[in-house]
Amino acid sequence: MQHIELMAPAGNFESLQAALDNGANSVYFGVEQLNMRARATVNFTLDDLPEIAKRCEAKNVRTYLTLNTIIYDHDLSIVKTLIKQAKAANITAVIAMDQAVIAMARAHGMEVHISTQINVTNIETVKFYALFADTMVLSRELSLRQVKSITEAIEKEQIKGPSGHLVEIEIFGHGALCMAVSGKCYMSLHSANSSANRGACKQNCRKKYTVIDQDTGFEMELDNEYIMSPKDLCTIDFLDEIVDAGIKVLKIEGRGRAPEYVAKVIKCYRDAIDSVGNGTYDKDKVIGWMQELEKVYNRGFWSGYYLGQKLGEWSNGSGSHATQKKVYIGKGTHFYPKAQIGEFKIEAFDVTVGDTILVTGPTTGAQEMKVEELMANDVKSEKGSKGDMVTMPLKFRIRPSDKLYKIVENKVEA
Amino acid sequence: MVIITLQRNKCIGCNYCVEMAPQQFQMSKKDGKTVLLYGQEKKGFFTLKSNDYAILDACENAAKACPVNIISVKNK
Repeated sequence: MQHIELMAPAGNFESLQAALDNGANSVYFGVEQLNMRARATVNFTLDDLPEIAKRCEAKNVRTYLTLNTIIYDHDLSIVKTLIKQAKAANITAVIAMDQAVIAMARAHGMEVHISTQINVTNIETVKFYALFADTMVLSRELSLRQVKSITEAIEKEQIKGPSGHLVEIEIFGHGALCMAVSGKCYMSLHSANSSANRGACKQNCRKKYTVIDQDTGFEMELDNEYIMSPKDLCTIDFLDEIVDAGIKVLKIEGRGRAPEYVAKVIKCYRDAIDSVGNGTYDKDKVIGWMQELEKVYNRGFWSGYYLGQKLGEWSNGSGSHATQKKVYIGKGTHFYPKAQIGEFKIEAFDVTVGDTILVTGPTTGAQEMKVEELMANDVKSEKGSKGDMVTMPLKFRIRPSDKLYKIVENKVEA
Repeated sequence: MVIITLQRNKCIGCNYCVEMAPQQFQMSKKDGKTVLLYGQEKKGFFTLKSNDYAILDACENAAKACPVNIISVKNK
């Protein structure tokens, strides 16, 4: 089997570390305002580029800078600065939509990846962008049959990018989908003056709507009021077919997601890709992965457009269908490396032996484990409560100010 | 007095404030974010105090249009 690159989202250092710890082959991230998650409260800054590159290089993980909004004249200078600094920091490539970004990146000798925002849907478009780019994300609306026909044509016609290698095809494997064609949406702009194409999507498609004919007052009968909110894409249950379609990169959506989401999803897909590779991919494993994936944020799953059927799988809720949620209980205060013991201050609720805890931090990433024993205020105990200093043996290192959560069942609204 | 405040670091460079109030806002060619003309900076917040009430409407429109809500206009 050919090598499949698993590409993880990194919205901050916590998620970046979670991606690295769980087997991602590459990560993508935005810096400053010119990326599709510009609205996010946390975004990397230019100064973070060397640290991102350093952490990823140590694990031989490729790094992609998203620079895929539409670009105005006043952005040109910052685009140039971003590309130059990315190049200087040894970032692998930029993901671009605007022709200005593509041209500038090429002029600076930077590898270019074509964003899904360009909506590449046929082989001639692949040929055109092969003049500039080595990797292309196909439009999310293609079926696997169409994807395969493109990858086969690349092979047959030997379509090569500027690097001299065959163009690599990337597709979305998991995460949020939106109602518009591959992200080209104007709903947020028209209704809230907030352009999705400048990274400021308000996600108003995720709300409940009714459709009324203004002439007759007749209300369209809809069995689901979330008529514009698709379920989340999940391909783990037909990953063998995805691999068979000849793609090279599988992208996981979710730069706005929590680090434990990145950890869980990357871990499952890593395992799934490896299983396809060594011939152990089967139904039982799929059931296990699906149960894991359902624990973190999701709007219910569907297979996207890949299998070419059942169009329009709409979510039936505004929020997550996750079967688990995290509850903040305290923060890390100390780690004793020799004894492998972590100390936490409990600031809310309590922690009991048998609980599953989650520790997140910029260096720690997102680490989950079951509490097997603990001491509260230096006394061996079953439970640590609010105000207590709790120590417990850990399988990973923690840092002061890391956040401690407990994982609890989430009652999903019907 | 009209007091306009801009929390500049959160700007996503969409250009709306310039469209609404070109006398008060201009896009920086350097970092692609908006500049509050004649604004005084304090800890990342730019403030302009003016007795020219003629700018009020345009600035209020700019504040309303801003997708990331970083412009505030007060009339004291």
